[in-house]
Amino acid sequence: MTDKQPQSRTIMVVGGGIAGITAAVEAAEAGYDVVMVEKSPTLGGRVAQMNRYFPKLCHPTCGLEINYQRIKTSKRINLFTLSTVAAVKGSAGAYTVTVKTEPRFVKPNCTACGDCAQVAETAIADPFNYGMKTVKAAWLPHTMAFPMRYVVAPEVVRTPEGERIKAACKIGAVDLDDQGASFDLEVGAIVWATGWKPYPAANLTAYRWAELPNVITNVEMERLASPDGPTGGRIVRPSDGAVPKRVALIQCAGSRDLNHLGYCSRICCLASMKHAAYVREQVAEAEVDVYYIDLRAHDKLESFMRRLKADPQVRFVKSKPARIEAGAEDNPVVCGENTLTRDVYAQPYDLVVLATGMQASVEGDGRLAGSYDDYGFVFTEGETIGAGVASGPLDVSMSVQSATAAACKAIQVVSGVRG
Amino acid sequence: MNALSPTPTKKYDLSFARWVYRNVDGGDRLALCMQCGTCSGSCPIGAQMDFGPRKLFMMIRAGMKEEVLSSNSMAACVSCYNCVVRCPRKVPVKYILQSLFTVAVREGYAQSVDSDNARFARAFWWSAAKFGRTDERLVTARFYFSYGLSAGFKKSMANLAIAKGMVKAKRMHLGLPHTCKNAGELRKILAKAAEIEARHAT
Repeated sequence: MTDKQPQSRTIMVVGGGIAGITAAVEAAEAGYDVVMVEKSPTLGGRVAQMNRYFPKLCHPTCGLEINYQRIKTSKRINLFTLSTVAAVKGSAGAYTVTVKTEPRFVKPNCTACGDCAQVAETAIADPFNYGMKTVKAAWLPHTMAFPMRYVVAPEVVRTPEGERIKAACKIGAVDLDDQGASFDLEVGAIVWATGWKPYPAANLTAYRWAELPNVITNVEMERLASPDGPTGGRIVRPSDGAVPKRVALIQCAGSRDLNHLGYCSRICCLASMKHAAYVREQVAEAEVDVYYIDLRAHDKLESFMRRLKADPQVRFVKSKPARIEAGAEDNPVVCGENTLTRDVYAQPYDLVVLATGMQASVEGDGRLAGSYDDYGFVFTEGETIGAGVASGPLDVSMSVQSATAAACKAIQVVSGVRG
Repeated sequence: MNALSPTPTKKYDLSFARWVYRNVDGGDRLALCMQCGTCSGSCPIGAQMDFGPRKLFMMIRAGMKEEVLSSNSMAACVSCYNCVVRCPRKVPVKYILQSLFTVAVREGYAQSVDSDNARFARAFWWSAAKFGRTDERLVTARFYFSYGLSAGFKKSMANLAIAKGMVKAKRMHLGLPHTCKNAGELRKILAKAAEIEARHAT
């Protein structure tokens, strides 16, 4: 507790994923003004890219819908998309934050009719689908975008195509002169909900993700299984579009590895079991092998694991595969030692999914939050408040709990209870 | 000579494991092994080993000194380093096997003492210590004849063509062995090294 009274009662939330959204609505509904800063053109973050949640296999769109409603009905939330924090000055109670906004080239009166996309030709890699498909240079970030507004790619702005896109908009919402902006905001507390990014699978050279088409990552699997994904929700081999009959799910691809991520990413075990459920649901004859070091299905999640273990077509193999080799017909061959039987195996599969871990995704110079742990996650202490996966690997429900706690800490700061 | 490693006498006896952690190169990291199997899965000659590295490490922890030191696993290692590069806990598997091999030789375990590796190492060391250089003919001959007179002859004859080729290409010379300058200095250095090693072994 400090004698100094906070100069600003506004709370800034950096990041618009499930943790950022939660922290923002919790603080706003408690009666505090909130400024949200999101790097991408839309809220939703990684959660919007998921097909379903474990363990209940419900759809993330449902929770997002409810939270979007809470944001819409709140008068206290101010949202800046395509924006990042460039600098933080001052201290708890009186921060001056420099926010930098990239141009969207589409004004708020956009009705998301899609006329602009009809005339756009340039194809750009779709970040929402991890580059598994392309989008046209004027596109809606995803079907659950918030705000529901198109984006025009900077690549086409000073081209005839850009002019055609502008002309196609009947209500004149395309603004090719958008320069973006840089401005300062006075806030009393900052909640860092900057989230995570998948560990780059190309770094796992022995697993040859970059070379073998039928070796994919867990986040790519989520997109494959999603109805709004590149295949319309059908799980198929990227090489030939065939339905996979033999699928390997490899745990700890990067996590718990001092050469990559020195920590357990916590969610991958259940995420992979969820992927086993996706495959079994879609392909009746499919056989799934889960390669693991240890299975970390804590408390309520254990029942999900039991359900899968009861399935004779899902096999759990205690082994961290040593390498993946190229086999016939683009079949990746998983090689390693089964540590329970001591058998050395070389097993061909139609599709291999690497459970790559979570890495902190920080903005700017990466040190703006002030306090970080050894792995680059935001460490909540003193003035620094982390929420969700920005503070360490968490699943969605734990992220929401963490964000609610972060909102509470931020409220304590701006109301002078905690400094 | 190194102090002999302790022999576990009762159930859950950690004396041998702790001795290995302290006295074997890389042994301090051995304690971090999480039994994932990457080393054994990466091993190109794992099928020829009595126990793969992962299992060998678990046996060390279990106090199975006799089984560990009398196995062929250490001598079979071909030092490809796949295990060292891939180990998620940065356990220097190859170095540990190498160091355990030395322990097994010193403690007189036949599997290691009589291994090709140990025979060759002894022949190599004899030449290096005596002349300050390795002499291809003498090292090879000592290595071959360590298997006995008739075996030595057989091995020598089998490789005669290679030897002739090497002489022709001037990769193997005829005549007296090459020696280093100041062989006396070398002997002093080796004597000092032996003294230091003996001091550390107690």
